Order: sequence, then structure tokens, then C-alpha cells
Amino acid sequence: MDDLNNNHLYQKELFEKLKKSISLKREEECFACYLKPACWWIIERPNPRINELSAQINVACPYLKKGSELSRQGCVNELFSIVKKASESKALVKFDCARGLHGFVYPITQGEKLYGYIGACYAKKDVSAQILDIFSAFTDTIVREIQKELELSRLYETLRPRAIALSTVHTVHRLISSTLDLNELLPRIARLSLQIMRANRCSIKLIDSKRKILLPKATVDLREKSIRLKKVKVGKWAPGKAVKFGRPVRGHDYLAVPLIDEDVIGVITVYDKIDKKEFGSFDQEIMSTLAEQAVIAIKNAQLYKEQEKLTMGSIKALAKVLDTRAPGTYVPRASFLKIALAMGQEMRIPLGDLKSLEYAAILHDAGEIIVPYELLTKPTKLTGKEFDLIKEHPMAGVEIVKHMKALRSAAPIILHHHENYDGTGYPKGLKKDQIPLGARIMAVVSAFEAMITKRAYRIAKTIDDAAEEIKKNSGTQFDPKVVEVFVSVLKRKDIRLSLEKELYGHI
Amino acid sequence: MDISKIIRSAVHLKIVRFFHENQASIDTPRGVATWISEDRLKVKEALEELVAGKILVADRATSTTGYSYTRDARTIAKVEKFLKDNTAT
Repeated sequence: MDDLNNNHLYQKELFEKLKKSISLKREEECFACYLKPACWWIIERPNPRINELSAQINVACPYLKKGSELSRQGCVNELFSIVKKASESKALVKFDCARGLHGFVYPITQGEKLYGYIGACYAKKDVSAQILDIFSAFTDTIVREIQKELELSRLYETLRPRAIALSTVHTVHRLISSTLDLNELLPRIARLSLQIMRANRCSIKLIDSKRKILLPKATVDLREKSIRLKKVKVGKWAPGKAVKFGRPVRGHDYLAVPLIDEDVIGVITVYDKIDKKEFGSFDQEIMSTLAEQAVIAIKNAQLYKEQEKLTMGSIKALAKVLDTRAPGTYVPRASFLKIALAMGQEMRIPLGDLKSLEYAAILHDAGEIIVPYELLTKPTKLTGKEFDLIKEHPMAGVEIVKHMKALRSAAPIILHHHENYDGTGYPKGLKKDQIPLGARIMAVVSAFEAMITKRAYRIAKTIDDAAEEIKKNSGTQFDPKVVEVFVSVLKRKDIRLSLEKELYGHI
Repeated sequence: MDISKIIRSAVHLKIVRFFHENQASIDTPRGVATWISEDRLKVKEALEELVAGKILVADRATSTTGYSYTRDARTIAKVEKFLKDNTAT
């Protein structure tokens, strides 16, 4: 049916262009000199009915306008048989009419396909074969030119939306492959799906294969009354069915596309188009392509998360091993890690650097392994030589972590976390911005931790006293901006509660 | 919202027309510049202004920004009218 419609449309456009063609008009004017005079007509269909032909000729032929009904009919019948001949031969057919006048019918074709005819009659002068050859060649060129123009325009109309869709898919690929954080990735995929489908709601569910259930992981809902995230059993509803059968499930106002890696890992479902239209096969095609890209990005993010867990496990194990030597020295309390990370986030440190800060926070004093146990727990003041040994621990820490690739980015933080903002610290005596930001954060957190933790050589300070001490050293030992952020983080209720619980065992 | 103040140049108009005609499209400045045959830097600047004017939505990632058409029906209707009034441009 589509082909038929397209064909009709093509034919209509072809004749519209032909009738408007300036080249054809000039050609007619030119050939009129030979035909003296002639009337021209165009038949816009390959198999015209006789009454259509009659109407056409009636308008064009001055003789018919004056003649009797009988002679008119005879003329039309004669022309009808000529058109038939041209239709069969698909070549120009010359004729002489009953009135002794001359004419010809030229069929408009493309390959084997016949579209209609151009005719001329009422010519008082016989037309030579050479003139007709020239006419055929000229007309053929004009028709081919119009046909090419139409084909190009068709091609443009068909290809442009596809090319734009392809470009969209490419952009989506770039956007979703730029993050390895699942918490950022899934809402982004949902948002982009919604945008592409012009839908009101999108939900991404990932499968819990043990329980054969789909867990909602991200939903974007633009309606005023949004729906709560729901678990769905595999096989139930559109998302469950898409997962069970491993193929898209489409209804008037929903489209569920499974996320397939080696197995089905989840489903993206879009609901309710903004314009209330039905989800179509093109939507399904685009969503399936998007799902293929999404699944790669999700798997990458999941693998990255696994890798991160492994790295973190190794780091914690290393810290635990070191901690057995002097308990409480190497493994920092969870709340200090929280403070360091919260400060990093507030200072808008990029995600990768935040990870390095976390690793460094766990292992920043790992280098103290080179310091004798007695020195670490010495209740009296250290001698100059003893302090020189202590000052070597950042470098020793770097020596430990440099063998693990994942920890190399944490090395500058570990190395410089005892540098002072005014340049009086160690090991390099760096000052201000020369000190990496992570190390400036670590300097504050590490000093705070040392002050509120009980040591053999001094009594632990309270949280507020330690914070005051940090503030007092702002601009000398510590970066004032970092201290400002530290103070604001320490005011956070969750941080405060976590600290108190860990230090004093109560809330 | 005064649409005519937001769509303040030929480049702005071409961009808005592109997204209005291809409402499912999400594209980078380079992509949009290709579709409307305009200079990439001019397009980038205009895209940001159209985001500020709430005609377009930006999805920002580290490597690039994807721009797409608003989903707000009222804005779309206003743009539709504006484009009809400016067909000759």
C-alpha cells in the first residue's frame, strides 16, 4: 500500500514539475515553428480512460472546439488508439488525423515504467523523422532531469532523518560511555531515552537472577503525579515479558526493550509519548540500538565497581596487616574517611581524584612501618634524630603504594600530607598551591584525627577543641579554604553523629 | 518567555527549526553545526543561549554536551507559532 501511495505521489510530483518546466515550454515554442500551429497536451497517467483523453483534447484542439460531436468522437477514438500504440511500444508514435492534420504522442517512461504522455496535434505541416528524433532527445533529457531531481529529493527525505537518528545514537553513546558510576549512568540513560522517545516516563530495571525479579534502578517521570518505583516479576507486565522473552514488547503507550549482554541483565521501558501517539517500529529500532549501547556502558560500570571493590579490599587488607603492629595507628576510623570524602566532594574534586583521596586516607601513615614501635608509642618528647626518622614515613608510604597501579595516584597525597601551608612542613617544604589539594585536605583530617585520638604521649582532645586547634593553625599549617570546608563538614549532623558514635560509642 | 528575544539571530533560528523538526534528536555542537551548515563556534554559543532560554536541554558529560529539544508543551507551541511567522527567514 505504501509503495502504491509513493508511486502515485511520485507521478503527481513528476507531472507538476513537468507542467511547470521552463525547458519544456521553450521546447514547445521552438517546435511550434515546425508544426505550425500545434496544440500540446499532457496525459498524467499511463492508462487514461477515453473520457479523460476527450477532456484533454477538447481543451487543447481548436478543431474539436468547432467540430460536430460525431467528428469529435472519431478524433478522440483515433487518438486513444495512438496513445495505446505509444504505451505498447514505449516510443514516440507519429500520426495523421482524419482532418489531414499531423501529430505525435511521446510516452514518458523510466526504465520499463510508463508514467504518461506528451502529445502534439493540429499540426498543419508533416513532421519529419529527424525533427521528431530531436524532440524525443530533448524531451527525454528534460524528463530525466526532473526524475533525477525527484529521486534526489526522495533520497534526502529518506536519508536525512536516518542520518540525524544515527547522529543522535552516536551522541548518546558518547554521553553514556563518559561515566563509570552506575548511580550517574542509569539516570542518564533514562533521561536520554525519554528525550529520544519524547515520552513522559522511563524506567530502568536490572534483574536479580536469584529471585527472578526486576529491581527498579532509575526512573524519570515528568508527569505531575509520578508513580513509585516498583519491583516486577520476570514474565509480568511489559518489562517482565521483555526480559522473559528477550525481545522488545510494544503497546500503544509503552515500549519495553531488554538489555541483553550474554544474558538479559535488565530492561528499559518508556511510557506515554508527549504527543499521545503510538510507539512505532522506528521507535523500537532506535530504542533497541540505545539499549545495546546502554548494556555495554552498564557492564563497564559494573566491572569498574567490582574492580574498585577488589582494590579497596586489598587496601583495607594491607592496612589491617600494618595495624596488627600498632593497633589504631594505620586503620583510620570510618568517620575520618567520611570527613575526608565529604571535604573532597564539597571542594568539587573530580571523581577519580576523590577515589585517590579515599585510598590515601586509608594508607596515609602506612610508611610508619619503618618507625620502631617504641618510638611510635614513646610517651615523652622525641629527640631530633627520632623526629628525622618519623619524617621519613611519607616517603616510605609512597614506596609501599607505588607497586599497586591503582594506588599510584594516591602517592602524592601520601607523600605531602605533612607539608605545611606556610612551607614549614616535610618532606619537601612545599607551600600553598604547590601542595596537592588532596594532601592539604589530608593534612587537616590527619591532624584532627591525631588530636582526638588518645595516644601514649598525650590525652585526646574533644571534637570541638580539636576543631578550634585546626582553625587556629589556618593559614600557617593548613590551607584556610580547606579549613573553612572542614569546619562546615564537621557541622553536618550525619558526620557529627558518626564521629561521636565511633569515638565514644554513643549517639 | 519572549521567544523572539531568545531566538535572536539567523543561527538561533536555524538551530530551533532543526530541533523543532527533529524533536527526538540529541546532538553535539559539531553535529548541529553540520545539520544546519553553520560555524561550529557560533552554533556552540547559540546552543548555550537557547539552553538558558529553556528552548533546549543540555546533557553534560566530561567529553561532550548533548543538546536536545524542550519537552515543555507550552514552549513547543510558542516556538511553533514563531517558526510559522518567520517561515520566510
